[in-house]
Amino acid sequence: MADALSSSAVSSNWWGALKARLPGGWGNAVAVGAGWLLLIIITGLRRPDFLSHQTILAVSFTMAIVGVLAVGQALVGVSGGYIDLSQPAGLILVAYAVTKLLEANVYGPLVLVIALVIGASWGLFNALIIVWGKLNPIIVTLATNFVVGALLFLVFQNAQVPINSDFAVNGKGYFLGLPNIWWPMVVLVLVVGFFLPRTRAGRHAIAVGGNAFAAQARGISLRTTRIAIFSLSGLCIGMAGILFASSNGPFVPTAGATFQLPVIAAVILSGVSLAGGRGSIWLILLSVGFLSTVPTSLVFFGLSSYWQAVFQGAILIVAVAIDGYRSRRQAR
Amino acid sequence: MSNLDASKSATPVSAMFRPSWRDLLTGAETSIAVTLFIVVMVGVFWVGPTFVSSSNLSIIGLYLAIPMLIAATSSFALLAGVVDLSIGSMVGFSSCLFALLVGTFGWDMWSAGAVCLTICVALGAINAVSIVIFGADAVAATLGMLVGLRGAAYLFSLPSGQLTAFDPGFYDLTNQNFGPLPLMFIISLIVIGIAGIVVSRTRIGRHVKAVGGDERAATRAGISVARIRFAALMLSAFGAGLGGILYVGLLGSASNLTGTGLEFQVYAAMMIGGYSILRGGVGNPLGAALGMLVVAGTANILDVQAISPYYANIIVGLLLLAAVLLDRLRGGDAYH
Repeated sequence: MADALSSSAVSSNWWGALKARLPGGWGNAVAVGAGWLLLIIITGLRRPDFLSHQTILAVSFTMAIVGVLAVGQALVGVSGGYIDLSQPAGLILVAYAVTKLLEANVYGPLVLVIALVIGASWGLFNALIIVWGKLNPIIVTLATNFVVGALLFLVFQNAQVPINSDFAVNGKGYFLGLPNIWWPMVVLVLVVGFFLPRTRAGRHAIAVGGNAFAAQARGISLRTTRIAIFSLSGLCIGMAGILFASSNGPFVPTAGATFQLPVIAAVILSGVSLAGGRGSIWLILLSVGFLSTVPTSLVFFGLSSYWQAVFQGAILIVAVAIDGYRSRRQAR
Repeated sequence: MSNLDASKSATPVSAMFRPSWRDLLTGAETSIAVTLFIVVMVGVFWVGPTFVSSSNLSIIGLYLAIPMLIAATSSFALLAGVVDLSIGSMVGFSSCLFALLVGTFGWDMWSAGAVCLTICVALGAINAVSIVIFGADAVAATLGMLVGLRGAAYLFSLPSGQLTAFDPGFYDLTNQNFGPLPLMFIISLIVIGIAGIVVSRTRIGRHVKAVGGDERAATRAGISVARIRFAALMLSAFGAGLGGILYVGLLGSASNLTGTGLEFQVYAAMMIGGYSILRGGVGNPLGAALGMLVVAGTANILDVQAISPYYANIIVGLLLLAAVLLDRLRGGDAYH
């Protein structure tokens, strides 16, 4: 798996030469951006009232939680941790904690901190099992998601943040014409996307994803990297849990499952390889935007919302097929 | 799983086919058989002798019959190193489509069944094209299929989410008892037994194991990795499609929720029984059958004692972690 973040292989034809000059992953940006634009144009031609501020609000609202979770998933993916399947349980765990703390009238900023700590601990918990047992993250997170998902069901059936709390009010508010919850997502994507390829720790994580044994030979601790990455990814889950609890109405313990697929699809579409070592965090803004436009677009086409699942599934299959094809070609 | 098998198991291919007494005593099947024994003991002492009564066994049997049939077919995909997560929704998709064709459109059962199975196999082929030909990651690709097909099941069952397709003959056939046990359960046991023989005693079985165990060695031995994985994924889709149709016979109806979470139940049981969803070439159908009995026995004990079924999920999740840890201690893949 070559490291596209540094530079791609020099090819003999003009296409390769052009590609080598441009920053890594730009081809993805063009493809996803073109897909998004096409979707907007087609829907707009069919229903001109699609192109409205209302649509932008709906899309950006959907983008927020998916985007934050996608950053966490991308960190796991880029460092070779494959997939974190424990996000749904972690998200609801944090959201439920936020709900309970607010019901107990705990001071708002303190709730924020506690929620982030719970999120990070969730990631750390998974990481410790992975590192201690030397087990594959997919199986570990599958099992912890299963166990904690069941535990949550034993604890509550339905929860909701108090309607008059600052969280609920701000969660449904707007800033500069866009939902409040959209802004933290954008800041997170920009910050993580900036620091990941530009800091020592970030480059180490990418190196571990590219080739774990080569990275180890260079003196990078795999254990430390795994623990750090999963904790950071857990921090993203904590942030998503806060946004989810404050922007949604009543939620059930399985509510987190709906985010699983769009998040994984967004990460793969943004070019983060499941095999690790490659991808740009910034492109998550494009891929999440594209995927979040699909539901609204379907509504304007008069299709049942269940079509959304069919489309998202199809998009994921195509995206991973492209990802696999690219990894194979690079491996040659 | 071309992307995921970064570190290969060190077992030489030849050693994989030579069962020894030592393997038998320390292998996955032994630990799972011990676990099953513990479950049965807990059942007998906690629930009482009714736990092993024929009426309770027949409840467990009917509950397990279709999942076990699906496990028998998807075990080949796992062995070949390509996990098929889409089976749960494939069951729902197939039962909703079958009930729609028979109940709503008035087709006869055989043509509806044939159309249904053909479509399922075609969907399995889509999985196979993306995974085998393009090299997509099997977990992610079949996760996409899982979500997409669940959406399709919802669309088929609009507006109520329920479809009725009652056929007296089919109902009687699927609910029939053979001796003390349900006929379907006995058939599933026979099917899983045949799968076990195919895996351990035939050339095809050895080829499938070789493909999952070491892709490159299998290629060098002249085995077509692509062809075997393609066939395994289509077989897995076929089994899930058949399972969906049988659910319609058993219940006389289909719902958009039919088969939800079945993939986790089946694969958790199979991993407890010695399979790996990330590494092919390990496990055998006997272990899968024992694993399923452990899970079904646990669920049954809690059910009889009127304890929330979520406790069963917690137990299954912990057993799963214990099983993969044991597998690693036995020399399975370590993740660093």
